[in-house]
Amino acid sequence: MTSAASTDTTLSDDWARRVNTLLLVVAGILIMTPTVWMVLSSFKPSFEVTAYPPKLFFTPTFENYAQLTKTTPFLSFALNSVIVTVGSAGIGLLFGIPAAFAVSWTRISWPALLALAARMAPGTLFLLPWYVMFRQVGLIGSYTALILSHAVITMPIAIWVLLPSFDNIPRSVYEAAQVDGCSLTRILLRIALPLVGSGIAVAAILCFVFSWNYFLFALVLSNGDTKTLIAAAFNFVGEGSTQWGALMAAATLIALPPLLLAAVVQRWLVAGLTLGAVKG
Amino acid sequence: MEIVALSAPAVLFTAGMIAFPLVYTVWLGFHSFTSAGEQRFTGVANYARLVSDWEFWHGLWVTLVLYVLSLALQLVLGIWLAVILFNAKRIHGIVRSLFISPFMMPPVVAGMMWLVILDPSLGAANYLLQSLGLPPSDWLASPTWVIPTIALIDTWQWAPYVALIVLGGLQSLPPSVYEAAQIDGASGFRTFRRITLPLLMPTIVTAMILRSVDLLRFFDIIYITTQGGPGNASNTLNIYGFRVGFEFFNIGYASALMLTLAAIVFGAVLALNRLRHAVAW
Amino acid sequence: MPIARNAAACAASIMALTISVTASAADFDWKKFQGKTVTFLANNNPVSQAILGYKDEFEKLTGIKLKVDSYQEQQMRQRLVTVMNAHSDEVDVFMTLPSREGEQFAAAGWYADLSGMLKNAASNYDAGDLSRALLKAANFRGKLTSVPLNIEGPILYYRTDIFQKCSVTPPKTIADVEAAARKIKSCDNGVTPFVSRGLKPAVAYTFSNMLHNIGGTYVSNGKSDLCSAKGKKALETYSGLLRDYGPPGVVNYSFYQISALYRSGRAAMAFESSNELRTMMEGGDRLKDTGLMPFPAGDAGSVPTAIGWGMAVSAFSKQPDAAWYFVQWASSPEIQKKVALQGIAAPRTAVAQDPEFRRWLDEQPVRKEWQAALDVLAAKGSSEVGYPIVANPESREFIGQAVQDLILKQKSVDQACADADKALDGLIAQK
Repeated sequence: MTSAASTDTTLSDDWARRVNTLLLVVAGILIMTPTVWMVLSSFKPSFEVTAYPPKLFFTPTFENYAQLTKTTPFLSFALNSVIVTVGSAGIGLLFGIPAAFAVSWTRISWPALLALAARMAPGTLFLLPWYVMFRQVGLIGSYTALILSHAVITMPIAIWVLLPSFDNIPRSVYEAAQVDGCSLTRILLRIALPLVGSGIAVAAILCFVFSWNYFLFALVLSNGDTKTLIAAAFNFVGEGSTQWGALMAAATLIALPPLLLAAVVQRWLVAGLTLGAVKG
Repeated sequence: MEIVALSAPAVLFTAGMIAFPLVYTVWLGFHSFTSAGEQRFTGVANYARLVSDWEFWHGLWVTLVLYVLSLALQLVLGIWLAVILFNAKRIHGIVRSLFISPFMMPPVVAGMMWLVILDPSLGAANYLLQSLGLPPSDWLASPTWVIPTIALIDTWQWAPYVALIVLGGLQSLPPSVYEAAQIDGASGFRTFRRITLPLLMPTIVTAMILRSVDLLRFFDIIYITTQGGPGNASNTLNIYGFRVGFEFFNIGYASALMLTLAAIVFGAVLALNRLRHAVAW
Repeated sequence: MPIARNAAACAASIMALTISVTASAADFDWKKFQGKTVTFLANNNPVSQAILGYKDEFEKLTGIKLKVDSYQEQQMRQRLVTVMNAHSDEVDVFMTLPSREGEQFAAAGWYADLSGMLKNAASNYDAGDLSRALLKAANFRGKLTSVPLNIEGPILYYRTDIFQKCSVTPPKTIADVEAAARKIKSCDNGVTPFVSRGLKPAVAYTFSNMLHNIGGTYVSNGKSDLCSAKGKKALETYSGLLRDYGPPGVVNYSFYQISALYRSGRAAMAFESSNELRTMMEGGDRLKDTGLMPFPAGDAGSVPTAIGWGMAVSAFSKQPDAAWYFVQWASSPEIQKKVALQGIAAPRTAVAQDPEFRRWLDEQPVRKEWQAALDVLAAKGSSEVGYPIVANPESREFIGQAVQDLILKQKSVDQACADADKALDGLIAQK
């Protein structure tokens, strides 16, 4: 009797587990399909992208990718994106790490809130003022202007991702150092930083991704030489020159770095993404 | 005082980057630009115009509808997905990467992708519907369906994000909570509703705050897919303000619109932050 | 080629200029600004792409370094607005659509006056050969604000094979278009009978042609005139064609959906820009079964829309003379001919009649029909797209709104035109 009852529960448990896995698979497919469709489209001959009925089977071609490198300085735009992204992620971390540490140490949170508030205004509000501002100092079209503007996006990410990491360090860890009269900067560099290594990695990657994905500022602050990839992406839609294939190829290539990076650090990224949300 | 020095760079940088734009935009908002190319101080005229501008109120309405619809969809689906993930016990890295991929994708790319897929005559979505024997939809081209469609796109992108945040919350709940519920013989859903959900509220409200900042300023996807159309059906405040400034070249009025929008976002975040403290445990 | 030689309509100043140009520019020093850098803000369309294909030649000829900053149309305008509002000298030369933003940019003082510069041109420049209609369209308050780079306008692309199958003859009047669409709808339900622009800001481009053919005007006695009998007829005809015979979701249709639909063989008639020829013919499927013509006549005959992209020098440029060298080079007969051979219709008679260009046309029947349609546009075209007021871009919004209201059956024609007129009267009153 007892054994039969327990088989029953295992059976229904088993079924519940299977249904759950099935739901997970369905969710995964729903999430993935549009992206797969985009990647497939990028390998279609340009005029077949909008063919109807849509073609699922076709001879894959690299012509769209060849077209990209032929008609646009795709690689130099990509390099611009890398420079701006790495630069702004660097500044975001450089300013964000000590700020997050200070906020965690003092429990005074307004600096972190201030950084976040800057992200609440619509990006379009900054376009003209920043243009005027950077022109005054002769920085229009420079990497510096782009990096600084993107740092406004990256710094709050760095602070908010790192805050919970710093909070998780027990105070007792610092005590010995404090007794020895170490300065706070020294405590940050020697004790705290090594302990939040994975947090910094996640923050760096999130900074990179969100800076990479942002297009509005580059539209106005860059010029033909410093334009980022994402700002250039629109150029594939135009009267008399819409190239769907090339557009899908560009979209695929632009999405590739964030997606790859995210996949590499997915385990830690999830913790970082919640921006301390879980702690309530 | 050393502690002040540590946060100084971040504070000074932020202040330096946003102080001037704010002041300048406030100044612009008090001016009008005559057709002769001169600017003229007009006081609160731009704000007075805003009050009587039905497109502003319409934009506010669209913004709010889109906000409520998207947020509701993302919370419901996100929490549901989180429970599925939580029940799976072991989550493969590929699954996690899959869930991360939509919101790591550049919004510009996501917009272009959906534009192609949802085209009423040429897109794959309608083809799929028709092969399943369902009626095709006009998607982004229907004044009735454009907002739900945009909400769906945004939900595709961000529901997994909400799911991962809520999953983190679920994992941090003490196991004793569930045990207690099981002894009482409560059903699964009742346990979830009566015990788990209230405990998850702080996490959920945080997810709401993070999504609210983006949703109230909804821009990228609309900018790429409909630009506010058809008609004015998807003309959110941010899109409207943008078009007034950069397509109709009325910088003064656009500044007034942008500042109003910024105030709305800020107010919403403050209110939600209150709510977060209220549901804390 | 019958270019409008309407002396009365043509600004006398241009006539005077033409004469002095030929007289003064005998020995032209192309190297005068050697070593300078000119920045060009381009709309990334086929016109600029074709011209910039010869960028090296310009740099070699003049020794000027050309810095190109190229964006999709909307982004270009966005960038331009920022640059100009900041009175920045960052941009020396930019592309502009006089029919759209000319009045507004001129009022804001963003254009340098080119009429003086036109005098300082090489002897073979032949300013007198540039389309007078387009030069006139770029003339605001006695200033020449830009020089035309091309001529374009909406034309009717139609499928000869479908017409034959359904025994429809090419339409001669707007009523014929409606009849053809009706017939095609019942004879072949796998194809969209008629497609044109339904996207709100894009509607004015094609709708203006319809309005003018029917005999309507945008403004009459200082008031918006959409509620006149002819205005209402134009609104009803245009939206009716799209509602009854257009594709689903036509209210989001602009050039790229239209050309994709036509190219894939799913539209029998497409009323779309002459610039889209290349995109429509891509893949070669439509080369053999396409016919082209200006939009058929209405009660007021045929008044096609003919506009062109212009090249302007920024009023804030610190080196307008060097900038003018680039504008002059890009609009010279030599470059315009090279560009024409890539399918960019030149705003110059000499190019249209050039033997080499004629041979190029002969290569494909569609090219010949395309040029024939463009000849009509050049001769009879009106550049009025939307309201001839400072707030032209905004006026297009309300035209598009009225058309969409009717397509979506959200308002009666009386209501739609009345609402549009009210909003547009407000714009007209803004001075």
